Amino acid sequence: MTDVSPISANPREVAAQIFRARAHSAEVEARPQSEITNKPRSFNPPMPKRYYYYLMAPAIAILAFISLYPFFWLIVMSLQDVDIGGGEWVGFKNYVKLFSDGRFLDGWWLLAQYSVMCLGLQVGLGVLLAVVVNSSKYEKYLVTALLMPMMMAPAVAGLLWLFLYNGTFGWYHWILQSAGILDNASILASANTAMYAIVLVDVWQWTPLITIIALAGLKRVPRDQLEANMVDGASPLRNFFAITMPNLYPVLLIAVLLRFMDNFRFIDSVLVLTGGGPGSATKILPVYLFEVAFKFFKLGRGAAIALTLLIVTIILGKLLVRVFEKPQNEKG
Amino acid sequence: MFYRPKTAQATRISRRRFLELGGYGATMLGTGSLAVGLNSTIMSTPVQAASSDEAKWKQYAGSKLTFLSENTPPSFAIRDNIKAFYDLTGIEVEILTDDLPVVQQKCGIDLRSGKSDYTLQYVQDKPIGSPFADFYVDLSKMFGDETLPQDMEGYGDDAWFENFLSACGRFYSGEKIIALPYDAAIAVTFFRQDLFEKHTKDFEAEYGYRLEYNADSTWKNVLDIATFFKKLKEGGADVPYGYAQHQGSFAWTTQLDIQRMMFAHGRWIDFNIDDKIGSKEPGPTNWGDAQSVLMLEKFKALADVSHPDNLANGTLELNTVYQSGNIAMQVQYHEFAASVEDANTSVAAGGKTAYAPCPKGEADWILNGGPAVNGTNCGIGGIGINANAPEELQRAAYLFAIWSTSKNIQYDVLKGLGGTPTRKSVLEIPEVQAAQQRPSAMPNALTFDAVYNYGIKDPNFVLGPKIPEANEYHSIIASETQRMLSGDMSPEETAASLKSQLDDLNEA
Repeated sequence: MTDVSPISANPREVAAQIFRARAHSAEVEARPQSEITNKPRSFNPPMPKRYYYYLMAPAIAILAFISLYPFFWLIVMSLQDVDIGGGEWVGFKNYVKLFSDGRFLDGWWLLAQYSVMCLGLQVGLGVLLAVVVNSSKYEKYLVTALLMPMMMAPAVAGLLWLFLYNGTFGWYHWILQSAGILDNASILASANTAMYAIVLVDVWQWTPLITIIALAGLKRVPRDQLEANMVDGASPLRNFFAITMPNLYPVLLIAVLLRFMDNFRFIDSVLVLTGGGPGSATKILPVYLFEVAFKFFKLGRGAAIALTLLIVTIILGKLLVRVFEKPQNEKG
Repeated sequence: MFYRPKTAQATRISRRRFLELGGYGATMLGTGSLAVGLNSTIMSTPVQAASSDEAKWKQYAGSKLTFLSENTPPSFAIRDNIKAFYDLTGIEVEILTDDLPVVQQKCGIDLRSGKSDYTLQYVQDKPIGSPFADFYVDLSKMFGDETLPQDMEGYGDDAWFENFLSACGRFYSGEKIIALPYDAAIAVTFFRQDLFEKHTKDFEAEYGYRLEYNADSTWKNVLDIATFFKKLKEGGADVPYGYAQHQGSFAWTTQLDIQRMMFAHGRWIDFNIDDKIGSKEPGPTNWGDAQSVLMLEKFKALADVSHPDNLANGTLELNTVYQSGNIAMQVQYHEFAASVEDANTSVAAGGKTAYAPCPKGEADWILNGGPAVNGTNCGIGGIGINANAPEELQRAAYLFAIWSTSKNIQYDVLKGLGGTPTRKSVLEIPEVQAAQQRPSAMPNALTFDAVYNYGIKDPNFVLGPKIPEANEYHSIIASETQRMLSGDMSPEETAASLKSQLDDLNEA
């Protein structure tokens, strides 16, 4: 007999009902095997909790070794004047010095500018492109084309754009100059424009990621809601903001979080394009961190910068989640 | 190991199994390449002082060495000809090449972590020698070792061009030699004599002297020339810019660019230390004094009339600008002459370019009472041996170090890919002497007179500053200078900022 009791609105009760259905009742178990042949035998019978911990233990141990151990070592290093292979304990000196280090503070400000510009443009353009692609009959081809920039290693993308921006033979330089957007100096040669140049490269390479994710989100927007709203006389624009966007928030959250963290980590193209210059115009914090750790070999100071970067990333990540969760909660 | 239904119709490799096999393969390949590719190995046959030279060269036959070098012509040429070394010694040498910043990072990690994955290393004087000098073998102890073969010409200062051994071999001590001069990049002026001749009348009408360039030309003349060409260009004439600086993203060459001008005026240097040996405690910097502020003003004035891409042009890009005919003059490293003289890639080839020493200081711009000199700087790449390597491996590496810096090898490189010799004796070869005149089979030789007979000699040559914090020093100089050139700071503010940051860096 099938359990036809109505599904409760209470999640706990729903879970209990499902659980009850899985753990066959005594009545069901007592039936002859022939009567229940259509019901597949469960491959996942409930097991004691510790069983799952045992199963996860090897993975947890490996993860701890490759991730937690270096993390704690990073903390120790940040409290030392450290050389590779040894160091001298200096307490919080590395952290204290950071606050009087103009290059560190400038790095934060530049990173904030860079991230806001990249994320803003990528989300705006990415969603727009997703809508266009979603309504196109050439969707498959467009998606393939959009994937191409992402397939490129960031350092290679940096090199490609370095050539395109080149003031002597660069094609984009010629276009920008012909259009009157640039004066004689190339886009990378001016402290006023170099930041836009590196933002453009990031936007070119990673907007497709937002597009692909947003496209997946668009596929799950309920058509009945869209149609009902249209019947009520809503314009396509209102439909987009009232129905489509709220449904996109969960997937956009993932996309924005990914790109936000990437902007704090990926410096390949920036290093290739400008190396942080001219002056310090594009020396975003991760670039400065790379310099300190692997050019100046000041690993203690580098570890302190890395930890501050990590802490801020976590805090901002949490804030972003809240910002994106809010409209959903309101909707709910 | 993996579940397969008994009723399966065919044996198939599942996607998971396929990925697992791929993972195993990649791991094995990676481990294998690390084990076979990077590790140096040593095999030795004992020799005595009285053994033959052949036995001494062959004593480490069967060994394997790894040499990490910048991607410069000698390393490419030697790699192409590495069989000659193998035939001589039986030692296999793997030469890995990369851009200097990458070489610098890899060397630093190898040396400071106590490893010796790279037994032989390219010791570029300031970026690698200054911070890591303590991690290299003192070669002077091997010079007199009778159980090792030795170069007939020896390794003293007289065997190399003036100051070269000090540039890459001596750091913080006059006695220890950590590297032998392997290749060199010396600053020299490249200028378009065809354009100078063409516009000399107009120039003379405006400035009162002929548009010429020679060893007596000063930085003031360079400023005049750059101003003249820029004015012509802005007036609609089809002419290039007059001059361009190295202010791109590589901090070291950016620092060298401003150092030439600073040193030319009263032999101004950053710290009051022995310029040739350097110091681990350089003390307070001279940035911020009246001479440095004046020089920054002049450097900014020159930038304002130079090619507009100054702040994007590193050394290589700058040479491309010159090759493409977009500037009439550049101070460039003499190793680039070969590319400038290549008619396939350069509009400045075919006798259009002439070479002369770096500009001289302008007497009126000297406030510190020093002499006006043709401030010339360099990057002397040495070959050094990782002191973390076992002693036998160090001795085997020594064989390669002396072979790769020997006269015949340097001559072969010069003939082949356009090398830059470091041994004096190479210049005495008749073919090399002949090549210093056009038409030349070895275009780099066209610069030799300006470089070897003039630029590298005292009082023109500046080697330092050799300080342990050299790389952060380069970064600070580059960053602050570029900010000034961008208009973010005045010369006074720039000098003050440099003073503050450098004194903080050196805890002075």
